[in-house]
Amino acid sequence: MAESKKVLVIGGGFSGLTAAVETAEAGSEVVLVEKTPFFGGRVTQLNKYFPKLCPPNCGLEINFKRIKNSGDIEFHTLAEVEKVSGQEGNFDVTVKKTPRYVNDKCVGCNACAEACPVEIPNEFNFGLDKTKAAYITHNQAFPFIYAIDGKHCKGKACGKCVEACKYGAIDLDMKPETLTFKVGSIILASGWDPYDVAKLDTLGAGNIKNVITNMQMERLASPNGPTGGKILRPSDGKEPKNIAFVQCAGSRDENHLPYCSFICCMASLKQATYLREQYPDSKANIFYIDIRTPGRYEQFYWKVKEDPNITLTKGKIAKITDDPATGNPIVEAEDILSGKKIKQAFDMVVLATGMVPSTSASKVPVEVSYTPEGFVLPATLKKGVYAVGTLKSPVDVAKSVQDATGVAIKSIQSVRR
Amino acid sequence: MTEQIKPDLNFINSVIDAGGESLKKCFQCATCTVVCGVTPDDRPFPRKEMVYAQWGLKDKLISNPDIWLCHQCSDCTAHCPRGAKPGEVLGAIRKMTIKHYAAPAALANMVADSKYLLMLLALPVIIFLMVIASQGHLTSFPEGKIVYSKFVPIPFIDGIFTAAFIFAAVAFLGGIKKYWADMSKGVELKGDLAGTVKETIMEIISHKRFDKCNVAKDRSLAHLLVFFSFIGLAITTTWCVFYLYGNKLLGIEKFAFFNFGASPYPLYDPLKIVGNISALALLTGITLVISNRMKNKEKAGEGSYFDWIFIVVIYVIAASGILSEVLRLADIAPLAYPMYFVHLVFIFFLFAYAPFSKMAHMVYRTTAMVFAKHSGRG
Repeated sequence: MAESKKVLVIGGGFSGLTAAVETAEAGSEVVLVEKTPFFGGRVTQLNKYFPKLCPPNCGLEINFKRIKNSGDIEFHTLAEVEKVSGQEGNFDVTVKKTPRYVNDKCVGCNACAEACPVEIPNEFNFGLDKTKAAYITHNQAFPFIYAIDGKHCKGKACGKCVEACKYGAIDLDMKPETLTFKVGSIILASGWDPYDVAKLDTLGAGNIKNVITNMQMERLASPNGPTGGKILRPSDGKEPKNIAFVQCAGSRDENHLPYCSFICCMASLKQATYLREQYPDSKANIFYIDIRTPGRYEQFYWKVKEDPNITLTKGKIAKITDDPATGNPIVEAEDILSGKKIKQAFDMVVLATGMVPSTSASKVPVEVSYTPEGFVLPATLKKGVYAVGTLKSPVDVAKSVQDATGVAIKSIQSVRR
Repeated sequence: MTEQIKPDLNFINSVIDAGGESLKKCFQCATCTVVCGVTPDDRPFPRKEMVYAQWGLKDKLISNPDIWLCHQCSDCTAHCPRGAKPGEVLGAIRKMTIKHYAAPAALANMVADSKYLLMLLALPVIIFLMVIASQGHLTSFPEGKIVYSKFVPIPFIDGIFTAAFIFAAVAFLGGIKKYWADMSKGVELKGDLAGTVKETIMEIISHKRFDKCNVAKDRSLAHLLVFFSFIGLAITTTWCVFYLYGNKLLGIEKFAFFNFGASPYPLYDPLKIVGNISALALLTGITLVISNRMKNKEKAGEGSYFDWIFIVVIYVIAASGILSEVLRLADIAPLAYPMYFVHLVFIFFLFAYAPFSKMAHMVYRTTAMVFAKHSGRG
């Protein structure tokens, strides 16, 4: 008999949210913990996502609402699982909560951010702009409560935000907390990180200003991004009218990621349409080894191919150099179909960087075996512990959601045994 | 235009056996052509060579000058996302080109196969043992001061090595003639051949192409040392002929530092200085070749028997040559004479088998470079 009927979900991205609401709506109590101050994960950072190409909120908002209304989901942000012991039906879990320094009196008026003197690179926008140490990621963040970055905040010595807040929502005395839970089952949903461009030495290693990643491109195109949704290149804010997309920037490469990251071809095809819709006189050139559009996504590929201003060139870009005079990156590839080396300048270059399991930054809090790249091998997980989505393999949102729904059933079975 | 492709499955397997076992990993992304510093921009290599090899298109590879424009810098191998090692594969194809054009074919197969190493070594061993026996030195070394011509008299040296040289030259000429004819099929040649040859030789002497390498950039110095020491040793050998026959036929005696007549020559003699510097440069160069190969093993691949036997033979020649001189000066006859014997055996091995071994690269590469320039490529 399970001593605890609760299910712990680690990670508040699309997979974790789905697992939490599906489990709760089937009648089991859920504890949902998220490491960052806000829920929504990587999907929140996108402009539009597959399969329907709607903005992230169209799927996330309903999940946030289900969490709030459920009554069976206890959720924590800035919360990391430190220790897990026990077995299926009877796990003891220790969670460490980092202080947010803002309580739920916050109304989201932005006065604290205006008063805050500390500027830091905006991680949510992948460093494309700056934010304050008192911040909120975007206008539809959940929970809609500001957070203060404890690593950069000057603390009570400064205290400008405390003065500025009319609602008494800021408490710079908040201390880290340790929470303990008894749960019957655990769902791991800590997701993925973009591959580190600094490792892509031949592609500029992140040092060429107008060479950005596909995730940065999502932020540039997003209405809540650093440019309000206008695609502008980082070096001078110019409208890029000619963009090269570099497929397999690190993926399918045994020197980097020896697997296909599954989503990057679709992402670049989609991003080419962002550009074409925004600037009718623009051109996109996608350099690929093979275009991989699994299953019914093939139809999207056909649609994109119809646009005469989107070129697909077979040949991997293996070298990018900067032209400091124009700011135009110069890419090099062999056009395999014509058998000629190409050396061409573009206004901007987007690297289709792949997915790295989040375990490469921090391991999951239970014992398990990993693939050499850090993906969790689900068969080696302890009974009662389940992994979801991109922790196991690179997948898209739709597949993660299906996986999370399936795992919800498994976890319910675990707590009812 | 449709072209029917006739894959030569045996050829694919021979490339794999010749050290290109990673061939089939290639997925045609063309990273290799982009990172290659020595390829022309039009129809660049080595991506197309990889697919030709996978498809078994022997004709497109064997008579393709591009495989010799490759200097195996191994930048392609280091950056290959699949570990397909294009540099090694092209090396294997070059080895097969040498085998393909060298006649007699049976000898070419033997040189490329470690199984026959002892048999190939046995030939010079027997030849020189017979010479020594004819002088009565099989059981006892020559008396008195060490003079190598007492052990193996000069007419034998001249006769044996002239024969070996002529054999190699004839084999080379036959191979090169066929090779040039194959390359020329359907290719328009233009410009002046003599000028192209001169340009190619200047390029080889300057080692300019090597300098475009990245991963294996140290190879430039190593090859340069070996290359120039070979030239130095060729000069030394010609010089010896001068001394010997200048004395014998024209009666020229010693003047200034120049000691006409038979060896050994004193260490201050300019001939000796050139020879000794060249020998030391050869030993240094070939040692660097070995250490570079060890150092770059992971990125550039281990190399094949075909590569290593060539390197080892040169190493033994350099080391045994220097030791022969040192042991002679130290007057240790029981070691000096056998060492000289080893030296002669390996020189014979290098020259007689040159058209079939990696030594042949100097002839095929030069020819391919001339052809490439002459046909407006490279």
